[in-house]
Amino acid sequence: MANYRCPCCRKITSDTMDLARHFLGQTDRKHKDWLKTKGLSYAQLIRWQGTEFGNKGYKALAELLEKEAPRVE
Amino acid sequence: MSEYSVIGKPIKNVDGVAKVTGEAVYAFDMTLPNMLYGKLLRSPHPHAKIISIDTTEAQKLPGVKAIITGKDTPGGKWGLWRRYPELCDQTALATEKVRYIGEPVAAVAATSIDIAERALDLIQVEYEPLPAVFDPLEAIKDDAPLVHEDFENNINATRHIEWGNVDEAFKAADYIREDRFTLSSQHHAPMEVHNALASYDKGTGRLTVWASTQSPYFLQLGLADALKMREGDIRVIKPHVGGGFGGKNSTMPESVNAALLSKKTGRPVKIVYNREEEFIATEHRTAMNLAIKIGLKKDGTILAKEVKIITDGGAYTGLGATTLYLAGTFITFPYKTPNYRYDGFRTYTNTMWSSSMRGFGAVSTVYAAETQLDRAAHDLGIDPLEIRRRNAMTPGYEAPGQYKVESCGILECIDKMKERVKEKWPKLEKDEGIGFATFAYMSGGIFNWIDTPYAFSGAMVKVNIDGTVDLFTQASDIGQGSNTVAAMICAEVLGIDVEDIRLHLGDTAITLTDLGAWGSRETLMNGNAIKAAAEEVKKKLISVARMKLGENIVYDLVVKNKRIYLELRPERGFSYYDIVRDAIKENDGEPLIGIGHYTPHNKGMISPAYGMGIQAVRAKVDRETGHIELRDVIVVHDCGQTINPLGARGQVEGSTQMGLGFGLCEEILMDNGLIINPSFVDYKLIRFRDMPPIELIDVPTYDPEGPFGAKEAAEATASPGAAALANAVYHAVGAEFDTNVLRPEKVLKAIREKEKKDRAGK
Amino acid sequence: MKKELKFKVNGEDYDLWVEPKTLLVQVLRDELGLKGTKWACDSGACCACTVMVDGRAVKSCSILALQVNGKEVMTVEGLANGPELHPLQQAFIDNWAFQCGFCTSGQLMAAKALLDENPDPTIDEIKIAMDGHLCRCTGYNMISEAIQDAAKRLQAQKQQEGGK
Repeated sequence: MANYRCPCCRKITSDTMDLARHFLGQTDRKHKDWLKTKGLSYAQLIRWQGTEFGNKGYKALAELLEKEAPRVE
Repeated sequence: MSEYSVIGKPIKNVDGVAKVTGEAVYAFDMTLPNMLYGKLLRSPHPHAKIISIDTTEAQKLPGVKAIITGKDTPGGKWGLWRRYPELCDQTALATEKVRYIGEPVAAVAATSIDIAERALDLIQVEYEPLPAVFDPLEAIKDDAPLVHEDFENNINATRHIEWGNVDEAFKAADYIREDRFTLSSQHHAPMEVHNALASYDKGTGRLTVWASTQSPYFLQLGLADALKMREGDIRVIKPHVGGGFGGKNSTMPESVNAALLSKKTGRPVKIVYNREEEFIATEHRTAMNLAIKIGLKKDGTILAKEVKIITDGGAYTGLGATTLYLAGTFITFPYKTPNYRYDGFRTYTNTMWSSSMRGFGAVSTVYAAETQLDRAAHDLGIDPLEIRRRNAMTPGYEAPGQYKVESCGILECIDKMKERVKEKWPKLEKDEGIGFATFAYMSGGIFNWIDTPYAFSGAMVKVNIDGTVDLFTQASDIGQGSNTVAAMICAEVLGIDVEDIRLHLGDTAITLTDLGAWGSRETLMNGNAIKAAAEEVKKKLISVARMKLGENIVYDLVVKNKRIYLELRPERGFSYYDIVRDAIKENDGEPLIGIGHYTPHNKGMISPAYGMGIQAVRAKVDRETGHIELRDVIVVHDCGQTINPLGARGQVEGSTQMGLGFGLCEEILMDNGLIINPSFVDYKLIRFRDMPPIELIDVPTYDPEGPFGAKEAAEATASPGAAALANAVYHAVGAEFDTNVLRPEKVLKAIREKEKKDRAGK
Repeated sequence: MKKELKFKVNGEDYDLWVEPKTLLVQVLRDELGLKGTKWACDSGACCACTVMVDGRAVKSCSILALQVNGKEVMTVEGLANGPELHPLQQAFIDNWAFQCGFCTSGQLMAAKALLDENPDPTIDEIKIAMDGHLCRCTGYNMISEAIQDAAKRLQAQKQQEGGK
């Protein structure tokens, strides 16, 4: 089964939702800057995730990671 | 009745005589020969660059012995989340910029407080004010000013918890509701203000600090990080402490600067905050914006919960990141929640930072969850007690990957409450209401953000030739009575009286490490360490007695009432004193010592055991003025095996007072980062006349992890007060609230809104 | 300029020279070393510093030392009779009427003043008399109970003494 690697660090997981959770939990600049280059705002994701119901922030990020995160075996 | 000689008996406080005669010495009372008085110069700006600090004039003032600014400090940063260096954000004195009103920028040591205060006036600080941010929802915006440059969007910590399938469960729910709350801060307001006395020994390069702290060990680590010294060169001594309530966990600038000034002057230095400083520049309860969505079946069964919290962290971390985790945990208690999702974010703002306070994480979230549950019950036509009963956890309940609740008496608590309320309050007056709220809390946390390599608790028992015992423990009695509990546990194991035990406490150089008094950890965690230490001694005594008896190995021996004897033939045995003497004399004089330690293992992520229960508040609302009169309170709780019923009642009474204060009158008022009510005149605590009587009903359980089956009794009961009060008002006059402090004007407004709604409905 | 202060504390005569701005609590704690009296709020709003002056409960942070010139002050250190605790002290211990103990001295002195004046107060009378004495630990009820308990003990003591 293919795993996903975080594009900004060495975190590896089988699930993009899980990877999204990891990603938003990082407070360093590297992760945030990567988001910017992909046209997503960290602040927007946080606001979705922190004030609206339904996992909107993670879902948006997971979709992006599904496309962008490197696969590893 | 119980088989115990000491456990479960009402034992008087071992510090009682000292405390009623005025002999108990607090750090506040201490002086040393040749001591200097320190004072801190504080920032008047919530956010500003420090351009320059000129101390020339202040230095000239006779009696001023030293002045330091940020550049004179070793520059060590510290915090309680030591495993995460980026969260170690505190400094002794601000250097580049200040982040909250009250942040210290310079420290003075002088021969008197008066002179030190005059010196502060003579220090010239040039600031360049920066745009500041006070609202957590503003702080996360992209264009918000950054409190710490390395933390974009001012996000200090995040936490996600999820189990089950939340989205599917909501689809299956018959009833869904969403509520949003703004939950305010609260000040610990301990009667003894923060203060520390530091004495640096020039000869050895070692430091001794006496401080009003909840954890001598945390303070030792904080000082070591701040001063870039070895832990072992720092000795922290905790005398009697005049209250903590979660506000004295962090190492604060007073102890660090007292140490720095002592090092610089070569004389002992003491820094004592005044009450205003205590309000503006010490930690407080975490304020939060909370959204909660609940999905229920028609019969009231909880199917799913989703919770969103953004907390107002303030300028630094403290224990605020822990609050974030606990908030996401305790909002599920004490109910079975098959599907759950939580997202918590802690923001930095330009305010004095928030941290732990009694029941941290639980008090605010219980308010939201329990008032919401009453509204849901009302909509579904279910009795408030019945909906709680239907969802109550049962022993062994597990939240996947998070926690497991072993002993669990919540069902019995709810049933007892139902019975008692019916009997006690059969009829209500007009505009009188009864509100319920359940509660639960941990018996010590299983977190090691402090990154200690030591066991979470340690204790040592030394038995003297005459049978008296010296008990060495770092369990921090800050008023809650843990000294008495410590002596009781030791006495029970060794079959002696509490009076036979001399306590040696709270000194990092003498006692074994204990993480301190927070998260209701002392009874279970330190209790287990003391029990283990005493049992080690007991084992030695039993082996001596067994040898003397020459009995078959299968016979069990009992140590009780100062005798050691065969369980099945109590007449066959020896006096405890004789065995102690033999154990030492016949063994080449080897000291009779036992050492015990405790760290929880395989108990999930949160705590080894949970105290819990339900509270009822009866209150009357004055429709004309909005004034709420607290009339009566019933608390039914499960704290496992009660160690000391006198002390346990004291804990319930005191924490109920604090919980009711959170709902009735206690609020830190802030205007652009300035706390505008920093005194007991303007910050209202519950007083004698406000306080209703409390009936306490105990539902005993036995927790396999607790010493003699004991769990927490100190914090859980701080959570339900505000929620039960709001529910009482809800049932009395139908008013709903999305904030916690029910001041009369808020109550009036809510009543008007309800009336308007009713008219519109007609 | 310092002025002379002659007063009695716990039965002892003192003759001191103090700055006029000095508060009574400062003289008691810093000059006489009577640190049982606490100081907790700087605004006269918590009553932790309460002592008795000529039999009345007074906040020692809200009165200048010179105002007690010629008067008799009693602090918590003067409450016990040698090693024998005052019934109020014993009742506070028996009823767990303190926790951290920081407000206790003030509570005891106010309770003594109350019981001297009203030897058999109801709970409501106790609450009214004690209102304003802040306690962050106990939630007050156990203090009220201790004061009632002490009242009973004192009355029993009096009866016994009268019977002799």
